[in-house]
Amino acid sequence: MKASAPIAPSSIWPEAPADSPSGLARSQHKSPGETAAGRRAVTERASKAWTPKRGQPDREPGLKRANFGRGVGLPTLLLLPQVLILVFFFFIPSLRALTQSVLLSDPFGTTVHFVWFDNFKALFANGEYRQSLVTTVWFTVAQNVITLAIAVVLAFATDRVVRARSVYRTLILLPYAIAPAIAGILWAFLFNPVVGPLAHMLHALGISWDPNRNPNDALWLVIMAASWKHICYDYIFLVVGLLAVPVSLMEAAAVDGAGPIRRFFLIALPMLGPTIFFLAVMNFIYGFFETFAIIDAVTHGGPAGATNILVYKVFVDGFINLDLGSSAAQSVLLMTFALICTLLQFRYFDHKVNYGV
Amino acid sequence: MKKMAFIAALFGVLALAAPAQAARVEVQWWHAMSGVLGERLNELVEKFNASQDKYTVVAVAKGNYDEVTNGVIAAYRAKRPPEMVQIAERGYMTMLLSGAVVPVQELLDQKGYKVDFSDFVKPVASFWSYKGRMSAMPFNSSTPIFWYNKDHFQKAGFDKPAATWQELEKQLYAIKAKGVSECGTVLPGDFFWSLLENYSAINNQPYGTLANGFDGLGTEFVYNKTKVVSQVARLKKWLDDGVMQIAGQGFSPEQLFTSGRCSTFVNSTASHGNIERNAKINWSATFLPHESDINPPLNSTIGGGAIWVMKGHTPERYDAVAAFLDFVAQAETQVWWHGVTGYVPATNKAYAMARERGYYKDHPTREIAVLQLSRGTPNDNSRGFRFGNFVQTMLAQRSEVEAVFTGQKQPQQAMDDAVKRGNEILRQFEKLNAGKGTEWSPEAK
Repeated sequence: MKASAPIAPSSIWPEAPADSPSGLARSQHKSPGETAAGRRAVTERASKAWTPKRGQPDREPGLKRANFGRGVGLPTLLLLPQVLILVFFFFIPSLRALTQSVLLSDPFGTTVHFVWFDNFKALFANGEYRQSLVTTVWFTVAQNVITLAIAVVLAFATDRVVRARSVYRTLILLPYAIAPAIAGILWAFLFNPVVGPLAHMLHALGISWDPNRNPNDALWLVIMAASWKHICYDYIFLVVGLLAVPVSLMEAAAVDGAGPIRRFFLIALPMLGPTIFFLAVMNFIYGFFETFAIIDAVTHGGPAGATNILVYKVFVDGFINLDLGSSAAQSVLLMTFALICTLLQFRYFDHKVNYGV
Repeated sequence: MKKMAFIAALFGVLALAAPAQAARVEVQWWHAMSGVLGERLNELVEKFNASQDKYTVVAVAKGNYDEVTNGVIAAYRAKRPPEMVQIAERGYMTMLLSGAVVPVQELLDQKGYKVDFSDFVKPVASFWSYKGRMSAMPFNSSTPIFWYNKDHFQKAGFDKPAATWQELEKQLYAIKAKGVSECGTVLPGDFFWSLLENYSAINNQPYGTLANGFDGLGTEFVYNKTKVVSQVARLKKWLDDGVMQIAGQGFSPEQLFTSGRCSTFVNSTASHGNIERNAKINWSATFLPHESDINPPLNSTIGGGAIWVMKGHTPERYDAVAAFLDFVAQAETQVWWHGVTGYVPATNKAYAMARERGYYKDHPTREIAVLQLSRGTPNDNSRGFRFGNFVQTMLAQRSEVEAVFTGQKQPQQAMDDAVKRGNEILRQFEKLNAGKGTEWSPEAK
């Protein structure tokens, strides 16, 4: 694909009948009533439209397409456990949060006032909340970029590791097995300005490192800890993604004289597009929702609220301050932000990603 | 068929036998004690269970104070609360006005136990009573005291820490200047409790209006107009000059003291157990310092927890609860608990008993907290603190003090902001709890 190719999905396959890729997608819904011949025809048309330039005949293209030919019973059954988990651990709690967010109640629930959107209004009027919002943006963006960048380099380097490759992989995957709170304590200790060995190294280099009194140091510390904990996740996906890059292409490029760095940027990276996009979304969700244990262990949201990201504030206001209404309103808002963020990513980046690898 | 009948008969026999075996009424007590303190609490419960054959108390560790509070709230909402729960002093107003608790004094009266609440140490009694009657059973009461490294002071040429902040400051600077120790003192993790709240009580400074909240929910913070501002400025100066260090996360202030790195340390008297076990230094303790222009200093206030009794249980279970609370209040129990933990004895009788037995000759530092708590007569500034949502206002205040430490705000500005944020939180509590607590007044009966 040329770099200047138009971004609409159907135009990736200019010679195909205008409706063919989407026609395939539609066939999912009406497949039970269709004849086998009809199905074959659609598949043939699609694969004909798909194959020419790639040299990969007859493979179902793309990560996004699935075709359930035998009715909806089995798929429904297979989905059921996941749906039930969602209902009990997501939809019902979400509804509860939604209800709680328009109430002012004491922790024991003996007095409950309905206050419309007062909890939300109070949040928007609250400087601390706005500061938390800004901190969260910095935190998630930095965490996302750092995690992806390091994971991509490590994944690409996997091929270059000749000896003890499995040891290399295991070492990188190890942090995934460590509980976030423990990871947080590790980092807090290593970078503790009084006793931490790494903090002493920084001091020896002339860097005045003190996350207890410097808000930026504290923010960097939690960003690093959160990234470190998540690099392994990205790494797994990227290693698998790299395996899917055809060796022939890389070899051809090598024969043409492209060095490893050029091969990486011009071939591997574009072909990793869907994986990186998926990971970016997952990293955002991780940063938004799963980092409060790290914050709690490393900084308690301090100093002076410098690392008080939204999810940690939800936790503190709900479970320490027992301000349930505000905490619920915050989680509703946080969820809205995460939804908007994910939708924006899909809206603006999804089309630029080539799923045809 | 015969088999079925046999099984049915078996179950029948079991059903008959079960009550005979389980004649002891079992009640639960959720608590927040861990480590050495948790072991001691279990011993206490075993003592009670062994002392009689009618009741069994089951102690359940539910994590730290916040986790216990959350646990009991969730349990109460699910209509399965424990009979008793240990709640920290900061949660007092939340529990008091929750409508979910049974007043302890009323329960004990009703069950015919004669606990002499007038004999309780004053700051303890006044903290846990409302409208003249005990609302929860004081259990683990502590107060901050001043710990120091004897060797460091001797090497710097001092006998012991000075009694006033002004003199103490000179000592700490001298200790650093003479190279005895690079860290004069360490910022306590709960500095808001020891160095701001107790500081205000000892130095006769008001913390809030309406007698620090004792006279009504309309209380407002006023510590931005008191010596607290200069106290915060002092801490900031010590930090800037390296006389005070922050332990930070991943490490505790106590470790900096017990390892001999920092010369002094302000912490609860309840850490006696830990410090005796861990300290490799020649340590001692004394009273918290006071300002040079405040003489005599007032009493300090308590921290720690009390046992609350939850609503919604059968009379038989409340029999068990009352028996246990009576056991806890007995002087013998108090003396034992005081000795093994470092918490203060809650009653004067227990204190006198410990004295008579010569306990303080061997453990002089254990007496400091009692003496500091009971010196003088508590006034409106030193009786204690009765603010709603006190955890939330404290966290807002801590954040503002941190803004001074990071250099983002001047002490006055930070304390103004802390008071402003705190008052908003107090108003929310007032709005939610207006008119509550009437069931506590004696005339309502």
